[in-house]
Amino acid sequence: MKFLVTIILALVLLTLESVFVQQAGLVLGRVDVTVVLVAFLALRASLTEGACSAFAVGYLLDLMSGQPTGLFTFLAVFTFLVGRLVASFVDVRGPVAFALFAMGADLGHGLLSTFFTWLTVKDGHTAPLLAGMPVQLALTGAAALLLFPLFKRFEVAQERPAGLLR
Amino acid sequence: MLSLLKRYRRFLLVAALLLYPLGAFLLGGRRGRDPNFVDRGVIALTAPVQQGLTAGIDGAVAAVRNYLDLRGVRQDNDALRLENLQLRATVQVLGETRSENGRLRKLLSYAEAAPGPEIPARVVGVNPVAKLLSVRISSGEKDGVFRGMSVVTPDGIVGQVIRSTGGYADVALVTDPQSRVAVRVQRSRARGTAAGAGNGPLTLENMLRTEDVEDGDLIITSGTDNIYPPGLVVGRVTQLEKKEHGMFQGADIQPAVDTSRLEEVLVVGSPYSQMATNGPSAEGAQK
Repeated sequence: MKFLVTIILALVLLTLESVFVQQAGLVLGRVDVTVVLVAFLALRASLTEGACSAFAVGYLLDLMSGQPTGLFTFLAVFTFLVGRLVASFVDVRGPVAFALFAMGADLGHGLLSTFFTWLTVKDGHTAPLLAGMPVQLALTGAAALLLFPLFKRFEVAQERPAGLLR
Repeated sequence: MLSLLKRYRRFLLVAALLLYPLGAFLLGGRRGRDPNFVDRGVIALTAPVQQGLTAGIDGAVAAVRNYLDLRGVRQDNDALRLENLQLRATVQVLGETRSENGRLRKLLSYAEAAPGPEIPARVVGVNPVAKLLSVRISSGEKDGVFRGMSVVTPDGIVGQVIRSTGGYADVALVTDPQSRVAVRVQRSRARGTAAGAGNGPLTLENMLRTEDVEDGDLIITSGTDNIYPPGLVVGRVTQLEKKEHGMFQGADIQPAVDTSRLEEVLVVGSPYSQMATNGPSAEGAQK
């Protein structure tokens, strides 16, 4: 059930983002809503469930990119695993801490994405991608602040109270 | 062995989830795969929502704009009436030129190029990943839009169809760093390549230093790449840089179309599949 909710949430967020970016006229700035979702999974989900959800979220992002290569599926699972590792060292509770955590995840995700893009498209320009990153980080941080209460609400809705027979 | 697999099944699953897409990426490289039935299903599910949202937002914005625009409508009307007069005069002159052109073509036995289909489409969303600058449009395979066709507006070229499914298609923009368009200077007919640079202006490449190019020159498609039809406006030359040494001169091209503010577009030209049956240049187009 959690897996399905994550996929539906990712689909809705990606669709909204794609329309928002078009309406706002952003050229290279993007809001990495999927990274925010993966960051939340890294904090709250179990290893198997989180990895499967991150895989699905990455696949959706890959699909929406127009040229599905598998890169964003890999990066989503990788970000989830690194996020889990980092989460064992830092305490992320409030929305601000979560926004910072998501921005860190987005920085890593963005740098790796640019590196792999450079690796496969040697003649392409990666400088514009890096130049657009500060705006992207700020937008993703803002999105994380807004989405944190929503994610928590979904999480609470998923938790079943433990009864006597459990 | 079985107990070992059972013991580490969680880690093996996670490793597979991590390594499978990485392998697919490293083996497949930059091209991406063709859409399968799952891809088509997800696109069929999300694209109508995108279209609905875009239409809703556009409707609300248009309602506010219409109200505000009413204030200056009389002055606009007068200005447009004057412009209409000028345009009618220009059309008359162009009509004369056209008939003269037709006569001369007949004299020279030129073959008339048949205009291809023009399929109108609406931009419903933008690719949420900045790695590839692309937009999604509301026409797809069932409307006659296929991979490789070019996308334009009346102002100039927009990009090229990179994936088409049922009722929707994805278009890579000319501003994308992977985009290359064969162009020529309209005034001097000098040939070069317009390369995307991510955002802002395009870069003029492969233009010999001896060629006649000036700031402000209009750049049009040459049609030699077999992707874009010839004669479509690409943009204007800015920041021309003629070095003392080297084979080529450099310049920026200010695109004629603002790709960040696209609303309606036209899909023109031939898909890759048709190119493949028409001639040997199909392989080059695929690249």
